[in-house]
Amino acid sequence: MNKAMQLGMIIAVILAVLTVVEYIFAVNVDDTAIRFYGLSGAAIAKAALIVWYFMHFGRVFRPEEAH
Amino acid sequence: MYAATTVLGGTGTGLMGFYLGLGFAMVMRKLFGYPDLWERDLCLSVGYVFGLVGWVLGIGLWGQWAREWFGMKTYANGAQGWQRYFTFCTDHKVIGIQYMVWFVVVFLAAGFMAMLMRVELAQSGMQFFNHDQYNAVMSLHGILMVAVAIAAVIGGFGNYAVPLMIGADDMAFPRLNALTFWLVPPVGIMLLATPFLGGLEAGWTAYPPLAVQTESAQTLFNLALMTFGLVSILGGLNFIVTVIYLRAEGMTWSRLPIFVWAMFLTAILALFYTQGIFVALFMVLLDRIGGMSFFNEANGGDPLLYQHVFWFYSHPAVYIMVLPGFGVALELLTHFSRKPLFAYRYAVGGLIGIVGLSGVVWAHHMFTSGMPNYLHPPFLVATELISIPTGLVFLAGLGTIWMGRVWLQTPMLFALAVLFNFACGGVTGIFLADVPTDIHLQDTYFVVAHFHYTIVGGEIFALFGGIYYWFPKMTGRMYNERLGKIHFWMMFIGFNVTFFIMHLPGIQGMNRRIADYPSEFDNINMVISIAAFFLGSSFLVFFYNIIWSWFRGPAAAANPWRARTLEWQTSSPPPHDNFESPPVIKGHPYDYGVPGSVHATFPMGAAHAPAGGGGGGGGGGGG
Amino acid sequence: MAVAAPAMHHKGPDRTAINRLGLWLFFFSESLIFALLLSSRFFLEGLNIPLKHGSDEQAVDQVLGLAITVILLLSSVTAFTGETAFEHGRKRLGHWMILATIVLGLIFAGGVAYEWKTAHFTRGEAFGTVFFTMTGVHASHVMSGVIMLGLVWVQALRGKYNEKNHWPVSGVVMYWHFVDVVWVFFYPALYLV
Repeated sequence: MNKAMQLGMIIAVILAVLTVVEYIFAVNVDDTAIRFYGLSGAAIAKAALIVWYFMHFGRVFRPEEAH
Repeated sequence: MYAATTVLGGTGTGLMGFYLGLGFAMVMRKLFGYPDLWERDLCLSVGYVFGLVGWVLGIGLWGQWAREWFGMKTYANGAQGWQRYFTFCTDHKVIGIQYMVWFVVVFLAAGFMAMLMRVELAQSGMQFFNHDQYNAVMSLHGILMVAVAIAAVIGGFGNYAVPLMIGADDMAFPRLNALTFWLVPPVGIMLLATPFLGGLEAGWTAYPPLAVQTESAQTLFNLALMTFGLVSILGGLNFIVTVIYLRAEGMTWSRLPIFVWAMFLTAILALFYTQGIFVALFMVLLDRIGGMSFFNEANGGDPLLYQHVFWFYSHPAVYIMVLPGFGVALELLTHFSRKPLFAYRYAVGGLIGIVGLSGVVWAHHMFTSGMPNYLHPPFLVATELISIPTGLVFLAGLGTIWMGRVWLQTPMLFALAVLFNFACGGVTGIFLADVPTDIHLQDTYFVVAHFHYTIVGGEIFALFGGIYYWFPKMTGRMYNERLGKIHFWMMFIGFNVTFFIMHLPGIQGMNRRIADYPSEFDNINMVISIAAFFLGSSFLVFFYNIIWSWFRGPAAAANPWRARTLEWQTSSPPPHDNFESPPVIKGHPYDYGVPGSVHATFPMGAAHAPAGGGGGGGGGGGG
Repeated sequence: MAVAAPAMHHKGPDRTAINRLGLWLFFFSESLIFALLLSSRFFLEGLNIPLKHGSDEQAVDQVLGLAITVILLLSSVTAFTGETAFEHGRKRLGHWMILATIVLGLIFAGGVAYEWKTAHFTRGEAFGTVFFTMTGVHASHVMSGVIMLGLVWVQALRGKYNEKNHWPVSGVVMYWHFVDVVWVFFYPALYLV
């Protein structure tokens, strides 16, 4: 129980840090292309974290697990 | 009566929802301070959405499913016998027949519209329609036939045969399946109502800016087609989960019947790409009723955006139509050649290759649209590449007939016709995939002939083959073989004469979608029209045969074709749970003539002998 | 083989596994709607955000954008905690966490509505078209998520879920995370690029 919640909190902190970094990056970088690729990379990383840890994507491939 | 109360109740709640939606839209307009409360397209759209929700809730979603979400008990569906077909019935066999009957009727209606078009086109000048009426009939014929081509085989045979063929007792989500079917009638009724509400002007592709600017029933068309997209998506989802999780014991992926493979891959296409047409139509709708500028060049929009999004779906949609057709055709070819399916693994690989390539070829519909020239070569090459996996499927079909004991029953004739017609459609496709020839042939009757050869020749022939093949299983009665063969030859000859000749004025530049043409095309169009009427009349034979046989035909045996796949190893029609005892799969479904091979056994059921064993024996079989 | 046969119609993967695959396929399909809207945004407007008329500031409100993003992220955390609580049978915590998620979701939707009201562009121009469409489609998913969370919350209060049976909670929470993932892509595309 506590372990799962701790993991959730750690992921949430990483997501929050990424979001703030994303924001500061976007406000301070003037080159359009670099900004675009940087933001895309950050978005993909955040999405991957949510999909894997919050949405438990791995459970799809372990159907025998009850929940 | 259960059936009448269900349908009337659903209609009632649907109408209530519709008027509620109208009221809601007007109240909202009042609150946001618009001077006029009534804005036709906006209010009707909100009314349609509310009405659609009311209809599905009333037809049985509320009683049999949604009450659960609020913690209440759901009701069981108490309908028996024929009344099941008019209720929210979750049995996949009932749903399959519902789809099949519905879309065969729509096919008849849309075919009748084609006859009307050929009456007008028999001579140059305007005799029968004015231009608006011709546009309305042409658009409606197009879109209804697209709907039939997408959903008849998938919805009908897919629902009926897939769970049976994999040894399941139903689909993975039976209530979702019933919901999916009951979304279909509003689509058909809305589309058939468009001629009375302003007609359609923009063809089935509904390109902006015309689709945004037209005063016709375009909004209704978009809403109906978005609903139909939902049907396709939810249906596809259901098939994928069913095939992954509900296969009988021993039914490995390499023992899956080829029709199930085709359906599984089609479902992936339908699930993923159908959102494309949903988004495209949604953007047109927002431009029409929301005052937005997706396609308004003056305000920074771009009409080409629609073509990209639309064809991103609508090219894969061609494979959504044709792959199940291939599946049915290969299935029939192997059963009626009494031989194992040739190169089974390569055929499956070919189907997978088609699915993989289908998403990267869409812009070959847009070579003349004004998109950047650097896009031409990659889409040309990708389009030509797709003939390789298609060729694998095709060769699997030819190899199956080779040295087989071909049993020329009606379904087999249709399957052979699929091979012949699709070869013609494939060859003409090469001209349309090449940029230089396509620029000449774009929007001519050559295109019309080409896609009728692929879709009608490739899929609708397979559809009719499948109807004759599964008719004994679905109804428990046998059709009349002689009438079936008459239907086949009329349809085959009529179809080929009509559409083969249609290439010729196309090469000379006769425009499609236009009600009039230069008078030098008079003679050839008269020939096409006469051949088309002959083609149309073949369906009268079909309907007489099917309706008469359904009520009066001789009782069919459980396995009249001595086929090995699982759906023939149970009674005709099958019991509610499909099999009296669960099947266990022991071998490949198509090992005709392989000594000692068995496809399935029923370890718990004494009533069934080992099913589909050995050589098939007797009649046209053996070998 | 014959020994296992009697239970065969009921064996195989359990209902939750089937439901979960169905839900994932639904996400897979839905993600294409959002991907196409995202592509349309770049197709029409390129890598730019227009400026306010007669000024050199961007037309979108950066502070508001960051604020609603953080709120949606927080709601994902509460949703995750709620689901984990139900998995381990801590129902009271689960109830509160679902309620918190609903409230945060409503605040997010309110933020979007405020942004719409104060926007410096109209729906008739291209950026307004994509902005209102993308935020509108996303916000409608948020609202449907709020409604489903509400239904699940009421059933949870009536004690319907426990360690063994909590699929509805998990399913709705997964949907909520999916909506969050969509915003992860929409936020930079609409505000930051």
